[in-house]
Amino acid sequence: MKRLRRDRLKIYMDILLIIRSESRKEKIILTRIQQKSNVPFDRLKTYLSELKDLGFIQDEASPKLTEKGFQYVTEFEKVLDFMKRMGLTY
Amino acid sequence: MNNLGLIIIEILSAALALILVRFMIKPYRMTGENRYLGLPLGFAFLAVSYILMGASLSFVDPSFVEKLKWLQLFTGAYAFVFLAVTYYSSAKTHEQREHLLMQAFLSLMFLVLLFLFIVLFAPPVLALPSYKEADEYFRLSNMILSIYITRYTLRSHALKPEPKTILAPLGYALLAFSQYSFLIWSLDSSFSAFVGAHLIRVVSMLVFLLVSYRAIIAPQNVAHEIVV
Repeated sequence: MKRLRRDRLKIYMDILLIIRSESRKEKIILTRIQQKSNVPFDRLKTYLSELKDLGFIQDEASPKLTEKGFQYVTEFEKVLDFMKRMGLTY
Repeated sequence: MNNLGLIIIEILSAALALILVRFMIKPYRMTGENRYLGLPLGFAFLAVSYILMGASLSFVDPSFVEKLKWLQLFTGAYAFVFLAVTYYSSAKTHEQREHLLMQAFLSLMFLVLLFLFIVLFAPPVLALPSYKEADEYFRLSNMILSIYITRYTLRSHALKPEPKTILAPLGYALLAFSQYSFLIWSLDSSFSAFVGAHLIRVVSMLVFLLVSYRAIIAPQNVAHEIVV
């Protein structure tokens, strides 16, 4: 059960990072997120819905990070960098 | 160096270790993975061992001081074992990763085995060792474990060389060198080794603090688009 949660966290992060990298574009296409995150389309929609419920993104059809989502991604990247500097793998 | 100077260094080391705990807990809090809890616990045990050493220098009653020193010996050793087990677990694949309880159990088993080894094989055989003798064995064990972590982190750095990843192995190498200096002091009562061990330990804590600062605090907020 815990492994499932961990894997899901990683997928969430991948999706949020892709959304952030795509955020300069006027409209974010779901197919692009699906290709980059390597997640089946039906599951991607489920994840996006969950991320919206968590308050990390808005508009599932063309998702963009909210303030909370951006802060979470930034904080996560800092911690990943810290782990890398400490020689820990994730 | 008088007792006051040593107590100040112990307090400083403990304070630095406790500050580090605040940073070291972040990987666990962010990922929710138990295996990363060994990192803050390791530094917390280091802080406790420094506090106990400082306390042992502050009291006069010899029997109480002896108890504090023994406690310091075990907490210090437990910290190093915990850190080593954390890095060992970090190298494993998903299926092999031990949980926190397993890490704690492995660490405890290591200490018990070390203590049994001293009792069974170090002369006088089958007798509780003197504090000094046990201290030497524990320092040696701490040094070996620090070298293991140094080697592990150095290997991570060598696989993907980046200037920012060299500081952690340096910090652990300094911790190992500090234990080596304590061992030398224990064997020949060299004053310079004693002072050096304390100073190197403080420097190693500062190195870890620098790593934490650069990763967590220093990064500037990048411009972002917020959709409201």
